[in-house]
Amino acid sequence: MRNKTWMAFIFLTIFALVLSGCNFNKPDTDKGSTDGKEGTTTEKGETAKVEQVLRLSASAEIPTMDSTKAHDGVAFNVLNNTNEGLYRQDENNESILALAEKHDVSEDETVHTFTLRKTNWSNGDPVTAADFEYAWKRVMREAGAYNYMLATAGIKNAEAIMNEEMDADELGIKATGDLTLEVTLESPNPLFVTLLAFPTFLPQNQQFVEELGDQYALEAENVLSNGPFKLVSWTHEQGWTLEKNEDYWDADNVKLDKVEVVVVKEPSTGANLYETGKIDRTVLTSALVQQYSDNEDFQIEKESGIIFLRFNHNHPVLGHPEIRRAVNMAIDRDGLTDIILQDGSTPLYGVVAGEYYFSPDGKDYRELNGDINKGTPEEAKALWEKTLAEIGEKEVNVSINIADSESHKKVAEYLQAQLEDNLPGFKLEIKAVPFAQRLEIEKAITYDLSLSSWGPDYSDPMTYLDMWVKGGSANRMDYDNPKLNNLVQQAYTETDLSKRFEMLLEIEKILLVEDAAIAPLYQTGVAILKRGTVKKLVKHPSGAEFSYKWASIEE
Amino acid sequence: MKSYIFKRLGFMIVTLFVIVTATFFLMQLIPGTPFTNPEKLTEKQLVILNAKYGLDQPVAIQYLKYLGNLIQGDLGYSFQYDGRTVFSMIGDRIGPSAFIGLQALIFGSIIGLLLGVFSALRHNSVYDYLSVTIAVLGMSIPSFVFAALLQYYVGVKLEWLPVALWEGYSSTILPSFALSVTVIATVARFIRSEMLEVLGQDYVTTARAKGLNESAVIVKHVTRNALIPVVTMLGPLAVSIMTGTLVIEKIFSVPGLGEQFTLSILVLDYSVIMGITLFYSALFILVVFLVDILYGFLDPRIDYKGAEQA
Amino acid sequence: MNTVKEVERIDSVKQNVAEPPDDLFVAAPLNRDVREEILTPSISFWKEARERLFKNKGAVFALIVLVILTLLALVGPAINEHTYRSQNLAHSNLPPKVDGLEWLGFNGKDVKGNDVYATRNIEENYWFGTDEFGRDLWTRVWKGTQISLFIAIVAAALDLVIGVLYGGISAFYGGRLDNVMQRIIEVLVGIPNLIVIILFILILEPGITSIILALVVTGWVGMARVVRGQILQLKGQEFILASRTLGASNTRLIGKHLLPNVMGPIIVTVMFTIPTAIFFEAFLSFIGLGLQAPLASLGVLIEDGYKSMRFFSYKLIFPAAVISLIMISFNLLADGLRDALDPKMRR
Repeated sequence: MRNKTWMAFIFLTIFALVLSGCNFNKPDTDKGSTDGKEGTTTEKGETAKVEQVLRLSASAEIPTMDSTKAHDGVAFNVLNNTNEGLYRQDENNESILALAEKHDVSEDETVHTFTLRKTNWSNGDPVTAADFEYAWKRVMREAGAYNYMLATAGIKNAEAIMNEEMDADELGIKATGDLTLEVTLESPNPLFVTLLAFPTFLPQNQQFVEELGDQYALEAENVLSNGPFKLVSWTHEQGWTLEKNEDYWDADNVKLDKVEVVVVKEPSTGANLYETGKIDRTVLTSALVQQYSDNEDFQIEKESGIIFLRFNHNHPVLGHPEIRRAVNMAIDRDGLTDIILQDGSTPLYGVVAGEYYFSPDGKDYRELNGDINKGTPEEAKALWEKTLAEIGEKEVNVSINIADSESHKKVAEYLQAQLEDNLPGFKLEIKAVPFAQRLEIEKAITYDLSLSSWGPDYSDPMTYLDMWVKGGSANRMDYDNPKLNNLVQQAYTETDLSKRFEMLLEIEKILLVEDAAIAPLYQTGVAILKRGTVKKLVKHPSGAEFSYKWASIEE
Repeated sequence: MKSYIFKRLGFMIVTLFVIVTATFFLMQLIPGTPFTNPEKLTEKQLVILNAKYGLDQPVAIQYLKYLGNLIQGDLGYSFQYDGRTVFSMIGDRIGPSAFIGLQALIFGSIIGLLLGVFSALRHNSVYDYLSVTIAVLGMSIPSFVFAALLQYYVGVKLEWLPVALWEGYSSTILPSFALSVTVIATVARFIRSEMLEVLGQDYVTTARAKGLNESAVIVKHVTRNALIPVVTMLGPLAVSIMTGTLVIEKIFSVPGLGEQFTLSILVLDYSVIMGITLFYSALFILVVFLVDILYGFLDPRIDYKGAEQA
Repeated sequence: MNTVKEVERIDSVKQNVAEPPDDLFVAAPLNRDVREEILTPSISFWKEARERLFKNKGAVFALIVLVILTLLALVGPAINEHTYRSQNLAHSNLPPKVDGLEWLGFNGKDVKGNDVYATRNIEENYWFGTDEFGRDLWTRVWKGTQISLFIAIVAAALDLVIGVLYGGISAFYGGRLDNVMQRIIEVLVGIPNLIVIILFILILEPGITSIILALVVTGWVGMARVVRGQILQLKGQEFILASRTLGASNTRLIGKHLLPNVMGPIIVTVMFTIPTAIFFEAFLSFIGLGLQAPLASLGVLIEDGYKSMRFFSYKLIFPAAVISLIMISFNLLADGLRDALDPKMRR
């Protein structure tokens, strides 16, 4: 009997201990969601007004809220909506003046002077030009993940600091007054303004950051906001809540009162939460698309990521451009996107994504360069057999290096059938490894074929093009064409926009028409469910994914 | 007994040391570092960051440093979640896992016990086959299928319980239930087997011969003795269930430890991998130890003197 | 031991016969020599076990189902002209259709009730439907059954060989050896599986060998613990002592006395190892160590099917049904075996 009492006691103790350690996420969502559905009438007896609460899901926890170190979509998203930099992406993904009221450029286009609006941090401190200087230098000092953005922007000495040839203090940025900031560039840079909307260029309050030390940006109360929203709560791994920042300089144009985000990692769970009204938008995977395709909230959103095949250019057979071209032609992209993926992805026959990047006279980059290396299975077979004969090979046994994700696996299985069916003598083995190892294998160039993806960093075709220069950290296939290398260097500093655009078009032609260096497969898209009441939730092709600034909930 | 316990505690530390050492070196054998994952880092940046966190040093040095910190009780910082301590990450996430696991364990053991006892008493009858089938379905259909079915029917269709998320007691029910399926199957199958064994023992016949009524025989003599070996099985099962399971936590958006562990390994978050491994192994070893001790108490036939002499 | 029991029983029967006080019958004189005679024919352990197994209806039924499933696994993929890897995008995502079995749901209609075969003008019937690549699921399910059955057998064998021996030796010899062996198990359990597996992926060629290797590392640990626990309990019992006193060797003690008495838990444990191994393989395939796509086991098919289970429920139902059937049969058979092999159940 004594045993039993003991057992019961131990059990109860464990239970109590465990329950107390449970930290249930009990935010004020309960109130929000019940009121939100019915809509409330204000006391003054105005017509029913919908509660301005947007409920979203995120695929992962925020890794860090420190803008100098942030490197992933989740963090960029929150930072973009809680902070304000010199520029911000507008509804059409153009960079527009944000915290900077005025932007003056010197005669030689290398010295940029910004005049800031008079605004405050969420703790009441004024936002000053020194906050920018501090933050940008901090990016360099901490070797933040996106510090190369400062070099891409052409800021003076950024490249040298990255290479540890200079000290971070020598970065070409200087607060010349409380509200005036002077940024010096190495040379004129047509991309500068576009890049400034990127979260890495956000300001930080030096005193606040240094006071908190290693606690900075770990909790909601350890970050400051100066943007349209404030981060008011953040329960690790569960979700976070943004509230409208009444002190924001453009607060009049911010309609939402609150944005609630929950972390949901399983797509089918997201769809179920959507069905029960817990969230207002969810992303569907291919497996779920057919089930919801006639739902009235079903939509396809285009995205700007590209999925492509890297070839090992040192491979005895794949090293031949015509072999690579035959591989390009042998793959039916329509079948892949329309039947296998069905998630809004679209066939891609170029390295720059379509519908986002336009020439100075408004023409789509993709349309200007057209479909490259598109062909029929017959053409592919003919080219393949001819080239193979020239090389003196009969068959090719290669393997494809893929990450262990659901969509990668599907794509690889599809490619295997396509290539083995259309190219006689081609044998493809699929080798799946975790994402990090896929990258390591790519970097070591020990693969034959590798299924890769790329997302743009900023709104310009260059973000897809300069990765192919010799020695570029994203080249990862020993591709080297001096013509391309030179052209990229020239385009970096070309300020005549239409001339520059011509160069950009030419770079892609060298890469694909001349060398067939890679095999582009598709441009990503997402199939989503989104409530009709959610208006103007702006989605950007690069940088932070969303801007909540203009969003609203309407009946 | 006392010296036996001390001896075992000593061995525990040695075992943990071996686990830590092996895991550390194996983990380092995997190509890449925690900074592999942010895909866009340049080579130069990788060099700088690796140097900053001492990842460029020989593995042996890193290992000694880690041991040094470990002895001082410092598990280090996560690489993935910049600036968060491993300690706080485990602390934050073990609660939900343990709670769901415990509920699943209690519920599953009760149902499993009933199924198993019933099955054994109606040996080779239709009821026996039926309860075998129920238990076997529990182990042959993976828990993620059950989880998804529960989520859809109970959460979406009937709207009785929350679909997912971690917002109060009601959101613990479905994940616990989905998780308990394994426990039910395990307990039911083992109890049935043990009961059949015990039912044939002489002391049961003696008890019956003594004129004890059947229910007293079943409860006092059979079930109780049949439970003893089940403890061996249930101990480690409890550890693995209460430290979290990837799929259930993912499907129900539970902020648990199991999901974190898998993620850390995939992104090579060294310090978190080591922290959770240490935590999990210590718990496992402790439970195995407790089971052994408990076993000795419950079953007088087992004698640890042999172990002491050795 | 059993012989002694039987003799006693025979004795008591004889006494009963002798008792009725009827004058017509005279008690036969008690022959002292016959007293020690064994009347029932001596049946070997295995023969008796087999006989008892075949008397068990559940076990026989299970055996038949297993044979049928094995045959289907071997023959099934060859029944139609499709291979497990041939894709046909025009026939993607077709629901199952069998002429004459429409009432059972094999009607070629999707969840919304549209006859997909009619709308897409497809003549051929796919019995289990097709996946998104237009691959025939009938072929894939039976191909997968082959693989999963193979893995089941390998896992069971590893359990029975490594697990039983390890646990048995550890408990039987006890002392320092037991201590060391148990600590080794703790180390094996403590080192994260996934790390070891990722290392395997990077070093080995993926395929059946690497699956088996991965199973060898930790697949048998549960069994070793169960066997050890049981033998610790048994080795102090009187019949072991008796046998030891009679001069039985250690091998004989383990093989003839201890193991038969642990059969029950061993069989139950094997039955747990099998599904664990099957889904472990599915998990391995997912991270690349297992079978390389497009080859798929039942576990992989279930994992794929589960993702779209609400719309294409057939993709989940068929592999799940086959695996459940396999497992239920295995378990019923195992229960029968347990009863048949357990010396204590001998009546």
